[in-house]
Amino acid sequence: MDMDGDVEERRVQARFITKLKPPCKVPHTSIAIPANVTRFGLSTIVNSLLKAGNDEWESQPFDFVIDGELVRLPLEQFVLAKGISAEKVLEIEYIRAVAPQKEDEPSLHDDWVSTVDGSCPRFIFTGCYDSFGRVWKAAGECTHILEGHRDAITSVTIVSPEGADSVTVATASKDQSLRLWKFDTEEHLDQPAKIRAYKVLRGHNASVQSVAAQASGNMICSGSWDCTINLWRTNLSDTEGDLVSIKKRKVKNNVEESQMEGEALSTLVGHTQCVSAVHWPEHSTIYSASWDHSVRRWDVETGKDLSNIFCGKALNCLHVGGEGSALIAAGGSDPILRIWDPRKPGTSAPIYQFSSHNSWISACKWHAKSLFHLLSASYDGKVMLWDLRTAWPLAIIDSHEDKVLCADWWKGDSVISGGVDSKLCISSGISVQ
Amino acid sequence: MIGSKSGLDHCFAILSFFNNIGCEKSRRKIYDEYNDEEVELTKEETKLVRRMLKGKTPHADFDPYAPYVDWFKWEDAKHPLSNAPEPKSRFIPSKSEAKKVLGLVRAIRKGFIKFDKPKEEPRFYMLWGDDASSSEKSGHLSYIPAPKPNMPGHEESYNPSLEYIPTQEEINSYQLMDEEDRPKFIPKRFTSLRSIPAYENAVKDSFERCLDLYLCPRVRKKRINIDPESLKPKLPSRKDLRPYPATCYLEYRGHKGAVMSISTEASGQWIASGSSDGTVRLWEVETCRCIKVWEFGEVVQYVAWNPLPELPILAVTVGQDVFLLNSGLGNEEIQRKVKELLHVETPTAPEDSGNKVSGWSWRQDDEHEGIRLRHFKSVYSVEWHRKGDYFSTVMPAGDSKAILIHQLSKKFTQRHPFKLHGLPVSAVFHPTRSIFFVSTKKNVRVYDLLKQKLIKKLETGLREVSSISIHPAGDNIIVGSRDGKLCWFDMDLSSKPYKVLKCHPKDINNVAFHRSYPLFASCSDDCTAYVFHGTVYSDLNQNPLIVPLEILRGHASSDGRGVLDCKFHPRQPWLFTAGADSLIKLYCH
Repeated sequence: MDMDGDVEERRVQARFITKLKPPCKVPHTSIAIPANVTRFGLSTIVNSLLKAGNDEWESQPFDFVIDGELVRLPLEQFVLAKGISAEKVLEIEYIRAVAPQKEDEPSLHDDWVSTVDGSCPRFIFTGCYDSFGRVWKAAGECTHILEGHRDAITSVTIVSPEGADSVTVATASKDQSLRLWKFDTEEHLDQPAKIRAYKVLRGHNASVQSVAAQASGNMICSGSWDCTINLWRTNLSDTEGDLVSIKKRKVKNNVEESQMEGEALSTLVGHTQCVSAVHWPEHSTIYSASWDHSVRRWDVETGKDLSNIFCGKALNCLHVGGEGSALIAAGGSDPILRIWDPRKPGTSAPIYQFSSHNSWISACKWHAKSLFHLLSASYDGKVMLWDLRTAWPLAIIDSHEDKVLCADWWKGDSVISGGVDSKLCISSGISVQ
Repeated sequence: MIGSKSGLDHCFAILSFFNNIGCEKSRRKIYDEYNDEEVELTKEETKLVRRMLKGKTPHADFDPYAPYVDWFKWEDAKHPLSNAPEPKSRFIPSKSEAKKVLGLVRAIRKGFIKFDKPKEEPRFYMLWGDDASSSEKSGHLSYIPAPKPNMPGHEESYNPSLEYIPTQEEINSYQLMDEEDRPKFIPKRFTSLRSIPAYENAVKDSFERCLDLYLCPRVRKKRINIDPESLKPKLPSRKDLRPYPATCYLEYRGHKGAVMSISTEASGQWIASGSSDGTVRLWEVETCRCIKVWEFGEVVQYVAWNPLPELPILAVTVGQDVFLLNSGLGNEEIQRKVKELLHVETPTAPEDSGNKVSGWSWRQDDEHEGIRLRHFKSVYSVEWHRKGDYFSTVMPAGDSKAILIHQLSKKFTQRHPFKLHGLPVSAVFHPTRSIFFVSTKKNVRVYDLLKQKLIKKLETGLREVSSISIHPAGDNIIVGSRDGKLCWFDMDLSSKPYKVLKCHPKDINNVAFHRSYPLFASCSDDCTAYVFHGTVYSDLNQNPLIVPLEILRGHASSDGRGVLDCKFHPRQPWLFTAGADSLIKLYCH
């Protein structure tokens, strides 16, 4: 950096601080930096400081936080806009820039990828319009194919990822049923293993649109086009015999296979239109979003809705997370991703609105660890990464050619997304603390 | 005559006077005081004194009345009497006058001089007006000036410059214009005044002038100053009428020809579309995915979903046939029911001949897994009854059998029992009661199906009705026409339109009401769809409120056709439009 060249240039005293681990720490002294540097300039300064301390340092992009807001303007303008005194030493916290470093080869499906779940770091679970669910170990490595649905799969969830090697998953489909599957992730096979469901859950009168599992894995809930949310048990043991019927089914190799059928444990009625998204973050609370323009919070024990946020738009996706695992992010039939804080009394106005998309929002997911980061996928073919501390997207992943129908985080540092172009794209190397 | 110096002198004078009495000479003696001597006057001198005392000239020989002798020669005098130059004082302003003026000015300023007071307005007036003047007014006609003609411009010259002369193309285009819009005068060019022909319209003009004089006496136009803004109807703001469709986010691509018709399924999860490329497609609304395609090989005129959600049956008109298709949606139970319903018993064959006479036949269609209902003329539209069992078909060329009502469960067809007056355009069931609307090209007739009689005839006053839609409450109807007008009928109000909206410059192809939101829409060949707010109040005294909300653009024109169909989403304030450009668009709020 040639910083002594321009005498006229205004300077500010700044000190760089960070929560990153030692190799990324710069000396804790204040230095004078030109006032008109942008985020890129700041990043260059930090990299050169790091390089001075460590010769083998490879420069990498950083993002900068001043007073809880990401720097997106030239420093001078930012300080002016925020009304920070230029006299005192500016404390600039730097974090690793959140942007994908690598695009993996897309995993091709036979049809549109309608849903994806990346909550288990060992595998990716996708649902597809060709009625099969697929399990991917890595990009392009399909390990299991789940056969059984008669129509497109609309939603999937991993029920119990903690199981040692056997994993339970649930799928919802347009054939009005849900299915539960069990498979072993540690199997090594040349060809993808074909699996049948161990339990079929029938009870909805219309396409099942969404499914979510309780954290303990004992129960799942599903939202459907018949405007109801059904709760189901996942356990294998048929304790309630009258609710479970065994159905014999012939398969190709003439082996008789048993398939259990389950009925809904209870039904939450209240929505007036298609329940497009459900989320079950806590033991007894279900959040649901619907095309009737509302987000509801249900108490599982009583079956009553505790609160109702009216949005005004038909909603397609919902996820709860962020600060205190309480912020509700939802998107729908307009390009705005809205975030509500239900703890805020007396108002149902969203606290954040992100509107960089051009079309309907099809998916939104909070990062599991971070308080600030979330992603959104839209029909305009883009996946955007957001930070609550700035109104602009951190990164735009534009790897799809058509509508993106689903997206999720995977392993905490990757974004997986599937869409109408039948691809599952994995963008990795995203360093979210 | 006698001087007196003192008393003594006076005594002497008196003594001398007495001495001289009687002496002739002493009478003529006079004392000269100055020289102190006595002077004796001569005779001549006394005569002179006497003449003077008498007031005559002293000398007796002077003639005071001698004749006047003019000594100046008056003739040939060229010059003024004086040749002296004009005095300077005549050229410089007079100081004395200036002083006077100054004095006057000061006096005015100080108020010493007062002018006449301004005339005061009369404080009192005649309360009942001026009788004299009003009688005067009524006494004779008031003068009405003729309207001033415009000043002639350059183009009205007999030889205007070339830029004023319209080209042949422009003259041809005048012929296409409406009579009223056509310019009254077309400039022409003549090389000389001599070559100007006689005014061709002279006879016509004078005839029309006579007609004018005969029929339209000139009347004084009273000009009223009204703020044009105040004449506008007080409509609520568009913001308060949200939600309504405004932005297009989704497009349904796949058709290869103009999309003729669309229909939404009762739950709003699916839509079906029929196209001129001979296919019917089934779409998922949410993702724009085409679920299913039926091939017919002929232009699909009309598609209509069965209104019951548990009967996902699609009625499609293709040429002379109406197909009832199983959409394949729903679970096994629904599918079983639908398949049962869509099964035509083969033993109808002997009856078939009888039906042929009447002009229709129910047949199983294995190719499309449905029923093929063959008509004797090409079918234009098909509409379901709200209970999903009956449906009506319209054959514009079918004469007395143009409108048929079919029953799906019994596979039975009956003719609409009333005489049609004009070509039928569409036939719709009332959304709640057993009332049937039949629209011909000129008007709409309302029949009661139970009592089998005509209830009402609605006069549209339109050139050609193209489409009709019934408000979900059933008391209001909108009618779209080929001349771009949209009529709103309030059935309780009158048989004349409550409101006529002239929005579209081209044909209206379809009109639609929303099932639950107070919205209605019209779509037209000008590639736009208009969305209106239409509240119908339950209070009978209050007229419906109609507010234009949004113009939805986006479709491209193809073969002169624009948006061919529009339908609202049954539950969301969204509008589907089907364009001649083979696209279906979804406009969301």
